[in-house]
Amino acid sequence: MEAESIRTESRFHSDTVTKYLLMGIAAVAVSIVFFIILFILGNSIGAMTDTGIRDLLTGSRWLPSKDLYGMLPIITGTLLVTAGAILFAVPIGVAAAIFISEVAPPRFRSVLKSISEVFAGIPSVIYGFFGLTVLVPLLRDTFPNHLLMGNSWLAGSILLGIMALPTIISVSEDALGAVPRSYREASMAMGATKWETTIKVVTPAAISGISAAVILGMGRAIGETMAVMMVCGNSAIIPDPIFDVFSRIRPITATIALEMPYVVVGSTHYSALFFLALILMIMVLAISIASKSIVNRTRKKFGEAENRPSLVDLMIAKLPIRLVNGSKSAFAVAGLFLISYLIAIAFLNPFWAAVIGISVTVAVIASSLLWLNSLKKKGISVRPRSPSEFIDCIPIKTKDIFRRILTYLLMIAFVYMGTSLFYDGTVAVMAGLAVAAVYAALMLTFRGIDSRIIQKIAHTVLLVVMAFAIFLLVYILADIFIEGLPLISWDFLTGYPKDAGRAGGIYPAIVGTLKLIVGSMAIALPLGIVTGIFLAEYAKDTPFTRTVRNSIDILNGTPSIVFGLFGMSAFVVYFGFGYSLIAGCITLGLMVLPVIIRTTEEALKAVPKELREGSMAMGATKWETTVKVVLPAAIGSVITGVILSIGRVAGETAPIMFTAVIVYQRAISHSILDPVMALPYQLFYLATEGMGSSAMQSAVATVLLIIVLSMFVLASVVRHYFDKRIKW
Amino acid sequence: MVIIMKNIIDIQNVNLWYGDHQALYDVSMPVQKNKVTALIGPSGCGKSTLIRSINRMNDLIDGCRVEGRMMFHGEDIYGPGTDVIKVRKKIGMIFQKPNPFPMSVRDNITYGPKIHGITDKDELEGIVEKSLREAALWDEVKDRLDKSAMALSGGQQQRLCIARTLSVSPEVILMDEPTSALDPIATSKIEDLITELVKEYTVVIVTHNMQQAARISDYTGFMYIGEMVEFDKTEKIFQSPSKEMTDRYISGRFG
Repeated sequence: MEAESIRTESRFHSDTVTKYLLMGIAAVAVSIVFFIILFILGNSIGAMTDTGIRDLLTGSRWLPSKDLYGMLPIITGTLLVTAGAILFAVPIGVAAAIFISEVAPPRFRSVLKSISEVFAGIPSVIYGFFGLTVLVPLLRDTFPNHLLMGNSWLAGSILLGIMALPTIISVSEDALGAVPRSYREASMAMGATKWETTIKVVTPAAISGISAAVILGMGRAIGETMAVMMVCGNSAIIPDPIFDVFSRIRPITATIALEMPYVVVGSTHYSALFFLALILMIMVLAISIASKSIVNRTRKKFGEAENRPSLVDLMIAKLPIRLVNGSKSAFAVAGLFLISYLIAIAFLNPFWAAVIGISVTVAVIASSLLWLNSLKKKGISVRPRSPSEFIDCIPIKTKDIFRRILTYLLMIAFVYMGTSLFYDGTVAVMAGLAVAAVYAALMLTFRGIDSRIIQKIAHTVLLVVMAFAIFLLVYILADIFIEGLPLISWDFLTGYPKDAGRAGGIYPAIVGTLKLIVGSMAIALPLGIVTGIFLAEYAKDTPFTRTVRNSIDILNGTPSIVFGLFGMSAFVVYFGFGYSLIAGCITLGLMVLPVIIRTTEEALKAVPKELREGSMAMGATKWETTVKVVLPAAIGSVITGVILSIGRVAGETAPIMFTAVIVYQRAISHSILDPVMALPYQLFYLATEGMGSSAMQSAVATVLLIIVLSMFVLASVVRHYFDKRIKW
Repeated sequence: MVIIMKNIIDIQNVNLWYGDHQALYDVSMPVQKNKVTALIGPSGCGKSTLIRSINRMNDLIDGCRVEGRMMFHGEDIYGPGTDVIKVRKKIGMIFQKPNPFPMSVRDNITYGPKIHGITDKDELEGIVEKSLREAALWDEVKDRLDKSAMALSGGQQQRLCIARTLSVSPEVILMDEPTSALDPIATSKIEDLITELVKEYTVVIVTHNMQQAARISDYTGFMYIGEMVEFDKTEKIFQSPSKEMTDRYISGRFG
């Protein structure tokens, strides 16, 4: 047999062509980010020139009718409602995560994890509906002297806290689970109880992952629109005193969503709303950078491969070390000021709190410099170059004392803040001191008690917290289903609305939601899957790939209201589609794109590399290997991810509220340039403006929940089916 | 060293880098047609790297760079006009861990021929039977061709992978520790199969097991830290090696 030549016949290599094609498609993600920034920035220039950036940021009166666009109350609103949400969610979320990871029997672990997934999947408009119908009346009845209506910062924070819980739980749980078993074994082997191991070894080892979880939860809360808009009361004022949780507030997202529908396109007001979106994006971006760098540090700690440096990391690395240390010091000084300010504001008005903050900061800096100087005189030479190095120099005993003082101060401040809303200042101070004393007494008593009893108490507390979180979910779902299920009939599902939606059916809204799902998937699926394939199979670590990844991260973190704003300015106004199905589909499709890219990439990466080698070794091209071996092996996970993102699209409101929806339709239109009705927006409209439609509200909420939850069921069935079929 | 006349593969002064790390130093080795050539040596000595570079599987690794000549029928495998797809079709590979695709037994075998353009059903059926017979697996799986390949035992899976490689009629089969994940009985079946296969094909095998190399190979190369210390007829290597280091490794004094 004459040997066949191995020389190539064709001039080009088909795999190279495929690669460049895929790269081109992956670049779409980058261009989307570019265009979002372009449209948001471009549209906000008007406000910057008309009013001036300084007046926008520091003005304290937001009165569009008088051309006053001071955003201070609105930005403060966002910060306050987010801070409140975090205060509510972090203790519950972290305790639940510790319970799931360290206490719960392994059998329940996956059940508890999927419960928290369901939490995450409930549309925000449903949370808002729950807040409006259950939480707000509950608060009004609990604090009748302080709340006229119940809509308040407190309501917003509790609701946002509930919504941030799943993020905090799942990311913290991952961090705890990633702590090597050898740590636990080493501690247990010395006779420590499980609880001691958890609190003294495992949690400290996972602390950076847990802080990343808190930051990500913050990101979730800060960008949330529908729920806050429905319960916060929406007055653009700064609470007085600043910790008055019963005050009405109005965050950035709510302002955009409330005013966008009524604003004149191109006016200063229109532009000011885009400027708000810009601020929101900057906040979210800062949050995502912070969480990423924390996650990276954790990876380094456990000897895992670090994520390759992103563009931002590289930029920081290029900076002179003095500048980096300088900015770290600046952050430390700012942090010092902020903490002392926050403690002082509990008791004093903002001016005096600022004075205290500044003097404490100056005092701390001065005393630490003096201390360093005295060390030098003693002949000990320490030259800390950054704040963290300085902290390393402080003797542990001193650090411990400071930590305790800070704990007690914060405790007293918090108790004072809470109590002073109801009673006068003296009582509040007494309450603060009393609580601190009780805490100190408890700490002293517990010191001598058998560690097994402490473990029992701690585990019981964790169990109670976990049960409370589950109770919340069950309560939300049960509340809606009990009211809504009996109202669902064939006529309701297939009829047209009557009396402005107060009666009749919701057929057009169901059809509209389905159309939005199909349309957005038609856009997101091909783009997302192809980009995912590129990232998993073809991408090497090049600047281009890193840019794609960064863009996807940015898209993933962008609040849905910003997508709505982009969709409106780009598709409704610029391209002139008007409120239309197509504008809504593109907007939703872009929003869900990063989810699909990530799911695809992760699913493909989970396929063992041996399969690829087996195929390539027989002379298959990369593309053949990907399409015929890798993709089929990963298809179960891909489909699961797609189904979950369908659930998300079905429930989203903010991106469609000013791109695609109307609240009343007499007949179904078949043109993609006509607006549609949609379930989530219908629910929002009825709940906020449809007086006397409470039965309809529950019914619409039930239908929406059924659609979303059935996606979860479907996804887990698919996952189960493919898990059984393919085992590595 | 014996110079062999009809070398199907001729490796000449190959150097290989993974990024900055050099993994192969000036390695030369002939591979004779219809013979079994074995590579032995301690872990990390570069034998897997060498065998993977023969059908360019190392191309899949970022930052991998090869210098020197690697001739297949007198054509350079790394030459500028070489089609890597054809190289891999002619030089197949079996891996350490059996890696059947998560498909039916039949689809595993027809995968390769279909990739290379065979669509005729009868022809494909013929290839399935022929390949499975050659891999000594036909009798065990002929009644379950449409069942998932993942349900086979480890040894059967490895023979299925051999059959899968045979389906595209390669000339050379590279085997990277093919029995390291198998039990002794499955191992002996694979060894028997290899001695059968060399009647039609050429085999290069990396093995951790010196007895295996002694049992089945005609030529043996001993590698150490990226260098080819000694290459010769298997009897020579195992009975009177000319390098002291080889002798010490063979007799178990290091490695």
